[in-house]
Amino acid sequence: MGRQYEIPIGAQHISLLEPLHFKFTTENEKIVKTDANVYYVHRGIEQACCSKFKFRQVSFVVGRVCGLCSISHTTAYSQVAEKLLKIEIPLRAKYLRMLVIELDRIHSHLLCLSHVAENSGFEALFMKTMQYREFSMELLEAVCGNRIQYDFSIVGGVARDLKPQVAQSIMERLKKFVPQLDELMDIYKNNWTLSLKNKGAGAITKEDAMRLNVVGPFARAAGLAVDVRNETEDLLPWKEVGFEMVTETTGDVYARNIVRLRELYVSIRIIENIINGLPESALITETKAFPDGEATVRLEAPRGELFYYAKGNKTQVLERLKIKAPTFSNVAAMTEAFTGNEYGSAPAIIASYDPCLSCTAR
Amino acid sequence: MKTFLKTIGNVFKKPVTTKYPFEKTFIPDDYRGLIGFDENLCIWCRRCEMVCPPGAIVFSQDMEGKQTYHFNRAVCIYCGECVRACPKEGAIFQTAEPAPCALKAENINNGWNKLYTDALASRELYAAEKKRKAAEKAAADKMAAAKKEEENKTGIDPDIIAG
Repeated sequence: MGRQYEIPIGAQHISLLEPLHFKFTTENEKIVKTDANVYYVHRGIEQACCSKFKFRQVSFVVGRVCGLCSISHTTAYSQVAEKLLKIEIPLRAKYLRMLVIELDRIHSHLLCLSHVAENSGFEALFMKTMQYREFSMELLEAVCGNRIQYDFSIVGGVARDLKPQVAQSIMERLKKFVPQLDELMDIYKNNWTLSLKNKGAGAITKEDAMRLNVVGPFARAAGLAVDVRNETEDLLPWKEVGFEMVTETTGDVYARNIVRLRELYVSIRIIENIINGLPESALITETKAFPDGEATVRLEAPRGELFYYAKGNKTQVLERLKIKAPTFSNVAAMTEAFTGNEYGSAPAIIASYDPCLSCTAR
Repeated sequence: MKTFLKTIGNVFKKPVTTKYPFEKTFIPDDYRGLIGFDENLCIWCRRCEMVCPPGAIVFSQDMEGKQTYHFNRAVCIYCGECVRACPKEGAIFQTAEPAPCALKAENINNGWNKLYTDALASRELYAAEKKRKAAEKAAADKMAAAKKEEENKTGIDPDIIAG
């Protein structure tokens, strides 16, 4: 047995996007044990939502939980508040919510892919992916009026309508994006240099994924078919707009890349279907009721299942709001999947988890 | 190899980035920009202040009851909730103009906090003054009514006595 060394990564590290701390116990460059500390950015948002803000304002507060999946948080909160108010939102609002969630998924997945490329040492591919990602940011800006904080879902519906010329530009830009996505798919799939860092790294088996309750593309890369879009139909009609499950089998960094890229094709199809069949109706259901009772909501964010629980007591301020972010579910599997890998491939593996610590610590 | 050739090809392509301060960036027509306010249309219901999530709008009130609108562009999150809540169309509206940066001279943090608390205090002061005036008026009215009654009584009394 060789000597064991403890090497930390984080909380500030050149290859980390987020304030995340991993402590690796290594033996001859091989990782044998990992400890994770994820609570560096606790902001007390849950407490603020239950004390300082009224329930209609909370949908803007939870949008600030995460910059990348802002729309998933606001939509999940709006849905849970609508359950407490016992109202049904108009069909057009549902479709517009799905549209923005899918546009958001495109930009989030491309960001993750670009960082995997960067952390694997492929700087040019990082630039290329970021270049192709820009169109989705501009489309989100055109739809929601802002690049990052969309504030699109509000309690009872959506804040803005989709203009016909914006819908047309979305279709045009998506048509342009498909060949670019083919090109990215080709590089991520067939590039030999990238495969050295990605194939076989950070692998997790299907049994382990199931045991450790993995969600999102992380789970789907291991062959575990979990996707909230496949399971719930009551709040957003995902299957109606052509959702399709994407799974791979190997469970390594390469498989996660491919799952994300293939999900982009599904997202593009969903967006096209939504725009082609956008129903005409009002945008918002007005109500003067106060939230009462308890409710839970699950929603598929770009990183996996997002869970919201809320409890109201017939006043303006909620009694309890609980947010369980997808990265929190994945932390156990994250530490597990490092075992047996080289220390040098750790940054690429971390990036491939797509960790979102501001979601996790809130 | 294919990627390598593409990389060489990129040398001869135009850059995709824009030279921002010299060139204009992409801003959509209905960008969520600065919040505008029309004093002539406002009905002073203060609903925008009530719904504003970060508290970027506040109304102060002088002793005559005239309200003044204050807005902080650095606190505002440009969600447009105030525009949706406004019962009078056009009194508060969202423009497509991006907010300019805050300058140190404007003292936008501490100055705003002070302004906010002062505005709330001014309203409380006015409410207290109004309440005091109302109480005074009520007392005066009561006094006047009592006096009148007394007069009436005294007016009737001689007849009763005479009777």
